[in-house]
Amino acid sequence: MELTEQMILLQAPNPAAAENGRKLSKKGSFSALHKTQDNTLYWGECAGSGKNPYSVSIDWLNPDAPVCRCSCPSRQFPCKHALGLMFEQLAGRNFETAEIPQDIAEKRNRQAARAAKKESDEPPKAKKANPAAQKKKMARQLEGLDMAEKMVNDLLTAGVGTLSGSSAQAYDKLAKDLGSSYLTGLQAAFTRMALAVRTIQQNSGSSDTSYAEALRILIYLRSVIKKSRTFLQTKLDNDNFSSEDTVLFEALGGVWKLEDLHAIGAFREKARLIQLSFDVSYDDAKKEYIERGWWLDTDSGRIDQTLNYRPLKALKYVKGEDSRFDLLEIPTLYTYPGEGNCRIRWDAASSRPLTEDERAALPALARPDLATALKETKNQIKNTLLPKFLAVLLPIGQLGKVGDTFVLEDPKGQRIVLRDRPEDGTSHASTDRLALLPEELPSGSALFGLMFYNEEDRSICLHPYSILTPERLIRLQF
Amino acid sequence: MNLQPLFDVKTRLEQAAIAGTGLLAEDFRLQRAAEALKPLAAASPVFAKIDSGLQNLLAAPPEDRSGQLLDLLSLVDAVSYTQGACGMDGELTPLPAGFGTCAPLSYGQLQPLLEALTGTGGGRMNLIRDMWENHPEYFGDFRVLPALIPGLGDGYAELAELISDILKAQRPEIAALLKKDFDPAGKKEMVRRVEVISALEGSAATPWLKEVLSEAKKDVRTAIITALGTDSDNTDFLLQLSKGERGSNRDAALQGLALQEGEAVLEFWKKELQKNGNSVRFLELASSDWASDLTAAGLQEQLRRALANPKPMSPEFQEELLLWLHASYHKSSPAMLDFWRWADKHLEEIGRLQTHKSMPLTVDQRLTDMLFFSLRDTKQLCDLCFELWEKDTENPRWLPHAFLAALLTLPAEEVYDRFSPYVLTAKPLTENKRKRELSDAVLKGLSRVYWDKEQNRYATAPSTFSFLAGAAEGPAPAQPLDPRWIRRLIDAVWKPSLDRQPTPFQTGELVDGFDTFLARLVNRSDEAMCRIIIPWLRRRALETGFWNSFSRWLLYFGSSPLGILADSMKKSKRAPYLYSVWSLLDEASKTLPAQEMILLLEEIQAGEFFTQKKEVKETVFTKTIVDLQAGRPFPEWHTWNI
Repeated sequence: MELTEQMILLQAPNPAAAENGRKLSKKGSFSALHKTQDNTLYWGECAGSGKNPYSVSIDWLNPDAPVCRCSCPSRQFPCKHALGLMFEQLAGRNFETAEIPQDIAEKRNRQAARAAKKESDEPPKAKKANPAAQKKKMARQLEGLDMAEKMVNDLLTAGVGTLSGSSAQAYDKLAKDLGSSYLTGLQAAFTRMALAVRTIQQNSGSSDTSYAEALRILIYLRSVIKKSRTFLQTKLDNDNFSSEDTVLFEALGGVWKLEDLHAIGAFREKARLIQLSFDVSYDDAKKEYIERGWWLDTDSGRIDQTLNYRPLKALKYVKGEDSRFDLLEIPTLYTYPGEGNCRIRWDAASSRPLTEDERAALPALARPDLATALKETKNQIKNTLLPKFLAVLLPIGQLGKVGDTFVLEDPKGQRIVLRDRPEDGTSHASTDRLALLPEELPSGSALFGLMFYNEEDRSICLHPYSILTPERLIRLQF
Repeated sequence: MNLQPLFDVKTRLEQAAIAGTGLLAEDFRLQRAAEALKPLAAASPVFAKIDSGLQNLLAAPPEDRSGQLLDLLSLVDAVSYTQGACGMDGELTPLPAGFGTCAPLSYGQLQPLLEALTGTGGGRMNLIRDMWENHPEYFGDFRVLPALIPGLGDGYAELAELISDILKAQRPEIAALLKKDFDPAGKKEMVRRVEVISALEGSAATPWLKEVLSEAKKDVRTAIITALGTDSDNTDFLLQLSKGERGSNRDAALQGLALQEGEAVLEFWKKELQKNGNSVRFLELASSDWASDLTAAGLQEQLRRALANPKPMSPEFQEELLLWLHASYHKSSPAMLDFWRWADKHLEEIGRLQTHKSMPLTVDQRLTDMLFFSLRDTKQLCDLCFELWEKDTENPRWLPHAFLAALLTLPAEEVYDRFSPYVLTAKPLTENKRKRELSDAVLKGLSRVYWDKEQNRYATAPSTFSFLAGAAEGPAPAQPLDPRWIRRLIDAVWKPSLDRQPTPFQTGELVDGFDTFLARLVNRSDEAMCRIIIPWLRRRALETGFWNSFSRWLLYFGSSPLGILADSMKKSKRAPYLYSVWSLLDEASKTLPAQEMILLLEEIQAGEFFTQKKEVKETVFTKTIVDLQAGRPFPEWHTWNI
């Protein structure tokens, strides 16, 4: 295994921790550096704020998931001391070869035993639902749906324009009540309504945008309420309480566990993925950061997404994700129900750099042409429950400008306008970066981005995220 | 197919939702839009479905309207999406290759930098400076470059200047980014953009600068004219500007013209100086012969007129005379050398010139200082100084000049042999005053020389005489210094009387000016010099009690304060601060072995300076000694700060 800076950054809970680790290494805070003969365990001491230095170690037995241990009291994991020790390794500091410390050897043994047990055990089965509890829950959910519907109807009868005079607290309260009715999906929608109310009241200049946003939420709510009621009622009538392959489960606020996904067969094995793009956005309604990775299945060409939610309140304690540049080989890849770009997760993966041949083959995984992608996008965005965009990889015939507008032409000569998706905000602005691309694009390249409907000129556009050439991946985002 | 009726229906439905379904029955605009949709409904089933939905909505009882309205809006939206156009006609111009770099940098690597560049609040300066020092390659990335540019207008001027420097270090091609969205009527950001473009492109920026000049206003206009002045091909244009511009813009044009060459330029300056002698200030930076000749002639003429009129001079005349004098800085044409010869002859008379308040104007002193500070590596000026001094080698007037010229041009040993006799190491029996003047003159010459550790050579300090020129020039290289000078200076009978000065170590102590003067002269890689200065520094530490500064000097020259540190602390009027002690030892730990660090700690501990803080005495020092004995590094400050 060759340690790289990227590998260290990937382990860090946040960029600041990595930078602090780098500073510790630079300052010479480490002493008594040792490693085992087989280079799988590195340990040392790091001067800290306590009287005694901290004992830090990194176990590289599994290079894709190193085990970091440190005697410091930090709740960040791995802590800056462990990351600093990695930087010591990266800097080529002299680690003396020594016998593995007794305590770490014991921990290793226990870990190996746990892994062996896990291997021999059957995969965890989805918990069987308690019918009575499920029945009660569904009934409560149906009540909640009635409550939400009443609020929607009342608002529309009075007119969305009355939002400026409404109390945002009323929506906050309803959102809270919906949470108590196990409808956290709808709860988030009402919190967004409360946010729209506040925006209108604080800034009357942007009321048009906020009314439009409120209307979008109402259309979504109407659709979710209608479909969910039928869905829940059918389940209730049939005494069916098992998980089902439907987006409604999440729309209502359900949380998928890997074993549940396994149970409904939403997984595939031996998947190979390469990340096309990475970005982070902030959801003001849920007060959380969403770290999103876009992944291309190198075998099927399917594009899915990983979503890592980091609530503001627990930001320190939820590890942040980062861009990945290597190929991931995943024994079992779980896919959330849905259409288009589904959410994916895995619990174990190994990584390796792409070979030249593998890299050269990637652009060929693009959709055959723009027309196909366009059709798929229209099919997705007209569904009120699905996102109003589709992530696509398009073959590039020519990339250029018509006047001041960036335009992609596919090899068949069909064109699409490239522009930033307004909903993504300025932090995701990337179209203008096309003008700064450091090199001319070789033939056989493909462009990855989000296809969306632009309300302004009622056209379908593409928000470019990255470009795949046969030699490299140029990320316009991260 | 004309889809306008569909979009009209969509708009009306949205308006109805905003106004409230209670008003639907009276919404004649919606009814009109529904009518207009009829032809489409007849042509396609999907529009027929919308039409039917509209009719149902308008006929629905009030309690059903909300749901039906949202269902219909949902359907209209879906149809709008499926009818969404795609593409754009027109000639497609391929994208040319850009100029940023594109490395596989992750979100974690780039985002903190982008946030600091585009955000507000404290802490950004440190982060950006750190990144610039540790990862300069990040700044060339095509995602970072555009974020740098708005930073030129950052309200925190120091940050804006740092970003300006970062941009100046990029490839010239990025100037295109700065030219995009350039606002010629803008403020400081645009001024900095002009400066960066000029620095990046040099004379290649001229066409663009001329193009934007017509629209430019205020400071941006001045910056553009200043930038145009750096291109030697802009003479005619600058001459033209000098006629049309006013105020600071004309000043900028004159500043540029001072750096141009040619007959037309010479003629212009002749007329300009005749009309307005104060414009000579722009010639300060000019190094060409014509500027030197004009300055020499003008300065001589000013002095002649002053000498011819025995009355105190007017404030205006006095001000102009000093401007002419300043303009002579570093000029060396034959005419200027002749001026100095003439000035030498008339220096006594010149010294008698008075201000308008009948006070001595000390023009003689100013003239000799000007020549002294003009001395760099210009051979003609050095030769002139030798010539003036050799007329009377026992006169201290031109001795600093000749000595400095020698330090700049002659071998070390020759300089020492020739000039060291002026610095006496034993008190003379006679002519004390004259001999002290000569000794001071030599020390004055030596005061302009220092060891430049960056360049690893001796150099002359840039002059502070002229602000403009001082800012433009760097240190000039000097010849090596004979190590015997250090011993000679230590043993000198008369030390120069210099003000107390801070040391380069920011210890807060003001030490004797002679100590800093001496330390500046020592090349720390010259063992002979170090051997001489180290005992001196140890002695001075004990004499003055400035333990922090002298200990740091000892470390800087490869020695250690061991043995004098505690005694120097005792001599000090103030009890040592624990942080100062830690900071010194932290510095010492970078060069001294652990064993010597332990001895230093024991020496301080034995001094009992921290008796009031028992835990400091017992824990900090003892624990640090234990740590060092165990091979651990010298601890961080927070472990001492208990």
